[in-house]
Amino acid sequence: MTPGTDVGEGNRDHKLRFPVQSSNKPPAETLEGIRVRGLVIVSFWAVVIFLGLPVWLWTTSIHRARLPLREMLDWADGKACKPSFPLQIAIEAPSLQDAEAAHLVRMTQHALDDLNEFSAHHLRLRLTTSLSNLSRRNASIPESQGLDIDEGFQSYRDSDVRDDSALTVRLRAYEGVQAARSELQSHSTILDIVYPPNQIPSVSSSSSALAAFIANKLKELFAEEQAIIANILSQSAGGIQSASQSPYVSPAAGSGSREIRSRPNRSINPEMAARLASRMTRSLKYAPTYHITMSLFTPSASPSSWNVESALAAYFTPLLDSISAVSNFTVDTQVQLYATFSPSVHPPEYDTEHGVWTLQEEDLSGFINAAEWPLSPSIGAGPTLNFVLYVSDQATSPLVVKGSQASSWLIPQWGGVVILNPEDANATSPESTLSKEAIQPALLTFSHQLLSFLGAPQTPPSLPLQLQTLTRIRAASLLLSASSTMGSLARLTVALPSIAIPETVSIAVDTTLSHLRGTCDALKEGKFTEALENARIAEAEAERGFFEKSMVGQVYFPDEHKVAVYLPLLGPIGVPLTMSALKELKRVWALRNAQRP
Amino acid sequence: MKYSFPPLILSLLFCSFIFADPDYHERLNLQPLTPASLLASFNFWSKASLQSYEDQHFKYIPRSLGQILQHARTRELHLRFSTGRWDDESWGARPWGGAKEGGTGVELWAWVEADSDAGSFARWITLNNALSGLFCASLNFIDSSRTTRPRMTFEPASKGHNTSMENLYLLHGTLPREVVCTENLTPFIKLLPCKGKAGIASLLDGHKLFDASWQSMAIDVRSICPEDGSECSIEMEQTVDMVLDVQRSKRPRDNPIPRPVPSEGLSCDETKPYASSDFCYPSDISNGQSWTIAEIFGRPIQGSCLAEDSKGNPLDSVYIDVPNEREMYITSGTENKHLSGTCRSFTLPKSEPFEMVLSHLGPQTFNEHTTPPLFASRSFTGHGQERGGVQTLLTNPSFTSPISFVYFETLPWFMKPYLHTLTARLSTSSTPNQILIKETFYRPALDRRRGTQLELLITVPANSTVILTYDFEKAILRYTEYPPDANRGFDVAPAVIRLLSNDTKAPVYTRTTSLLLPLPTPDFSMPYNVIILTSTVMALAFGMIFNLLVRRFVGADEVEGWDVVALKAKMRGRVMVLRDKIVKKGREKKVQ
Repeated sequence: MTPGTDVGEGNRDHKLRFPVQSSNKPPAETLEGIRVRGLVIVSFWAVVIFLGLPVWLWTTSIHRARLPLREMLDWADGKACKPSFPLQIAIEAPSLQDAEAAHLVRMTQHALDDLNEFSAHHLRLRLTTSLSNLSRRNASIPESQGLDIDEGFQSYRDSDVRDDSALTVRLRAYEGVQAARSELQSHSTILDIVYPPNQIPSVSSSSSALAAFIANKLKELFAEEQAIIANILSQSAGGIQSASQSPYVSPAAGSGSREIRSRPNRSINPEMAARLASRMTRSLKYAPTYHITMSLFTPSASPSSWNVESALAAYFTPLLDSISAVSNFTVDTQVQLYATFSPSVHPPEYDTEHGVWTLQEEDLSGFINAAEWPLSPSIGAGPTLNFVLYVSDQATSPLVVKGSQASSWLIPQWGGVVILNPEDANATSPESTLSKEAIQPALLTFSHQLLSFLGAPQTPPSLPLQLQTLTRIRAASLLLSASSTMGSLARLTVALPSIAIPETVSIAVDTTLSHLRGTCDALKEGKFTEALENARIAEAEAERGFFEKSMVGQVYFPDEHKVAVYLPLLGPIGVPLTMSALKELKRVWALRNAQRP
Repeated sequence: MKYSFPPLILSLLFCSFIFADPDYHERLNLQPLTPASLLASFNFWSKASLQSYEDQHFKYIPRSLGQILQHARTRELHLRFSTGRWDDESWGARPWGGAKEGGTGVELWAWVEADSDAGSFARWITLNNALSGLFCASLNFIDSSRTTRPRMTFEPASKGHNTSMENLYLLHGTLPREVVCTENLTPFIKLLPCKGKAGIASLLDGHKLFDASWQSMAIDVRSICPEDGSECSIEMEQTVDMVLDVQRSKRPRDNPIPRPVPSEGLSCDETKPYASSDFCYPSDISNGQSWTIAEIFGRPIQGSCLAEDSKGNPLDSVYIDVPNEREMYITSGTENKHLSGTCRSFTLPKSEPFEMVLSHLGPQTFNEHTTPPLFASRSFTGHGQERGGVQTLLTNPSFTSPISFVYFETLPWFMKPYLHTLTARLSTSSTPNQILIKETFYRPALDRRRGTQLELLITVPANSTVILTYDFEKAILRYTEYPPDANRGFDVAPAVIRLLSNDTKAPVYTRTTSLLLPLPTPDFSMPYNVIILTSTVMALAFGMIFNLLVRRFVGADEVEGWDVVALKAKMRGRVMVLRDKIVKKGREKKVQ
C-alpha cells in the first residue's frame, strides 16, 4: 500500500496520517530496455500476423477449382450458340431437264423461304439424281453443283446426300392427273409427288403452281417439328429470363436474348402453343436408357398370368428396335393380384344410360395406389416408365372413365394406364391367363403412349421422319438443358462462397463446354445424329458436375461454434497482446507529442 | 421336386405334405405348445423358370426383389429378421430344424457371383444397400467389419450350376442390434402374390407378430437346376414363424390391459394341500387351451390365395398338430385327418372367411414335443472394464449317440479374443479335453476393418455337457465410434451352430442368444474439456512468458499504483452525497 506521489489538495488529511515516503520512484528506464520491449511486442505481433493468420487461413480454406464462369453463363444465356436446324431435302426429278429442275428447285426454295417465319429451322433443297440417270448427271456436274442454294453445303459429296438429307422428294410427271398430288411413304423418307407434265415451269417464268405446291407440302410436313423446336427454344429463353436476376447477367443482355428467342413464338397460335406445352410437360427428360415396366393388376385372384412374352415380341419389341437409335430400353413385366384402389378414389358408379361402370375423371390421378402397388422404379440408371394394365373386376365391368368413355389415360412423366374389360363379362369365372390377342390393344396403346413420352411429334405419319424429328428435338432440348445446367452451376458457385469445388467439377465443365460447342457446330452443319451424340455427353457431364457429391455435402461449422471452441485460447492470449500493443502505441504517441514543439 | 419331401426331423414336427401346385403355394402350420403357447408357421413358396426370371418377366417372384438380386448378381439369398428367444427347454425342437431362423436382429447371407474377392464384396455392399431400402432395415450398416466369409457353417441350397460354382462367393453379415418391427413386415407382405388380402397371409399383422414371445421372418431365394437337364428354375420361400402366448393374444385389442380374473373365473389346482374356497393355486392353463383363429390373430382367414393345383382341385393350406381325438370345428372348407393321428389339414374356401375352433370340450391332449438335438447357451464371464470371457454350454441330451457340429462365431473387432485361452472341457472334469475340438478355423480381427471369425468343429459325447471358454480383451473405441447410448453396451451377434449328421438330411441349425458387451465408455464432454484445459494451459504459459518479456520489474515500494485509501475516501464521499440527496428528498416530501 503505497500512497501516490502526487497527492492532490483534497487528500491533505491522509497526508497527515501517512507521512510521505521519500524517493520511492523507480529508476528511469534505460532506452535500451524500452527499445527491447517494443521489439518484443512487434515480434509477437509479427508472428501472429505473418505466421498465425496465414496458417489459419490456409488450413481452413476450401478448395475451389477454377471454372470458366463467363463462358458458362454465356451458354446459359444463349449467347454462345444460336442453334440452327438446316434440313437437307433432296429432290429427285429424273424426268426433268437439269436446267428446268434447277429452276424449279430455286423457285421452290424461294417459296419456302417466304413461308418460313422461324429462321433457325429452315429447309434447304438440293437437286439430286437417282441412280438410274447417273450417267446423264455426270455430264452436268458444274451446273448441278451450282444449284446448291447454301454456299456452305458446296462441299457435300453426292454420296452423302442420301445420309444427310432429311427427306427425298421424288417428282414424277404423269399424264392422267389434273393437279399435283403427293404421297408420303410411311416406312421411308420419300415423298412422292405426281404432277401433270404441263405444270413444269419454263426457265423464264417467275412463278409456278408446282413450286408453290411443293413448298406448301414441305412446310406442312415440318410444321409441327418447327413449332416444337421454336417452343423449346422460347421456353428456355423464358426460363433464363426469370433466372437472370443474378448480378452476372446484365439486364440488357437478358432482355436481348429474350427478344431474339421469343420472336418465333409469335408465329405459333396460342392453341398450338398450349398443346405443345402440355406435350412437353408430359414427355420424359432425355436419358440414354429407359426402363419400361409392364404390370398386370387385377383386383381379384384372376387372371393370374398373361402371355406377355410373346405379345411383347409381336407388338412392342419392333417399335423399341426402331427407336433404339435414340435411347436404349429395358422391359420387365410383373403380375400383381388383389390390387385394390386407394381409399381416396371413389368406387365405380353404374351408368345406366350406357350400361357401363364409370370412374370419375378427377380420380384418375389417384388411380395408382402408390402405397400398395409395387411400382418402385427399376434398379440402375435411367428413368422408369410404368405401363399398367388393369383388368376390371367382374362385378364392375366394363369400367370406363366418366364422360369421355375412355379406358386408357396417361400420367405425365410416369406412365400409362389401360383398363382391360374382359370380353366375356358374363362368364362365371374369368380366364386365368390372358392371351396374346387379348392384350394386343393394350400394347398398341402403350406404344402410342411411349412415343408421346419420348416427345415424338404426331405428324408426319412416316415413322423414320418422326424419328429424325425426335433426334433434332432431343438434340435441341439436351443442348439447352446442359447449357442451363452450366448457368445454374455458375450462379451456384457465385452464390455460395463456402462451397468446395473439386477438380472433377472443373473437368466435367470443360468436357461439357467442348461437347456443347461440338453440338452447336454439328447442328449448323446439319449433322443431327452427331449433334445428339455430343449433346448426350454434354448433358451427362453437366449433370455429373452439378451433382458432384463432395460439393453437395459441404461441412458447415457456424462461426459461433468456432468462436466458442477457440475462445479459451484466443481470449487469454489476445488480451495481453492487445493491451501491450495499445500501451506501446500510447507511449510512442506521447513521445511524438512531446518531441513536437 | 426333391424339396417337396421334407426330411424326417421336419415330419416329426409338422404334418408331412406334398406340393402339387406348379408355381405357388402357401401353408400355415399351427402347433400348440405347452404351456399355453401356440407356434404358428406361415410358409409361402413360389417358383419361376430361370429363363423368365432373367428376362425380367416376373409373376410370383416379386419384381422388386428379383431386380435387386439380378443387379447384385446374387445367386442365392437368405435374409432373416428375428426377435425374442426360442425357449427350447419348454418348446422343444425348433421349427424347420432351425434352418429358417436367424439370430436376434437381422442376419443375411448370400452367394454372390463375382470374379474376385473384392468384386464380390462390392456386389455384397450393393445388395445390402438395395435390400436396406426394400425392407426399411439398416442393412446398409453391414460393412466390412460386420461381414464374414464362413467356411464350414453354410452350404448352398441351390442345386446344379456345377460349372459356375467356382465364381460364387459366400458372404455373411449380422446386425444384432437391429430392432425388427412393423416397417420390416409391411414390405415382406408386399412381396407375396396376394399381399395379405387373401389366404393365410391375411392373418399377418404387426400387432400380433411383434407381440409374440418369439418370431422369425425369413426369405430364401435359390436356383435349382435338375440333374435330368430340364429347365432350371428359381425358388423363393418366405417364412414367418411365431410363438404366441395364447392368453395374451386373446386379450381384446381395444382393451389390452390385463385385468385380474374374477374369483369365480379362476381355475384352481385342487390337488394342493391348502386348496380351499379361500386359497387358489392357478392350475396350468395349457390343460384347457382352447381358441379360435379370430381370437388369436384378431380376424379369420380371408379366403384362399391361389390354393389350387393345376387341375383346379383345392389344396390344403392350414395344418394343425393336435391329436385326432381333439374336437375341432370349422366354418367351411374340408377337414382331412392324417394317418399319423397327430395332425390334420384343411382346405380354405375360395372367398368367404375361414374360422377354426379348437374346442375346450373333449379330451385336452397335446402332441409330445420333440427334444432338440442340442442345447446351447452362451454368456459372459470376467470382470472389470478390460478383461472379459465367454462361456458356452453345449449339452447333448441324447443318451446314446455323440453329436458333432460346427460352432460359428463372429465377434466385433473391439472384442479381441485370446485364442490360446480357448478351451473345451466336459462339465464333469476340470481339465480341458483336447479331443473335443476337432478343427478350428480362425481369422483374426483387423481394427475397424474386420471382425473375428471363429469356426470350430466340436463333438459332444452322449449325455454330457461341454463347456467352451475363452478370454478376450475389450478395446477402447474412438470418441466418434460410440453409438448414441453407449452405456447400454454393444451387441455381439449370436453364435450359429450347424449340426452335422452323416445322412443327407436338411441342415439343422441352432443359434444362441446375442450378448450385450459393456465397453469402457468415456465422458462424452471430454473433447470440450480437453480443448478448454489445453487452451488454459497454453494461455497461462504464454501469458507468463509474454509478461516476463514485456513487463518492467520494480521494487514493491516503487509501484505507481492506486491509492486505495484515497479511492475509499472518494467512494465514501460519493455515497454521502447520494444519501444526503435521498434524505433531502424525503424531508421535502414530508414538508409537503
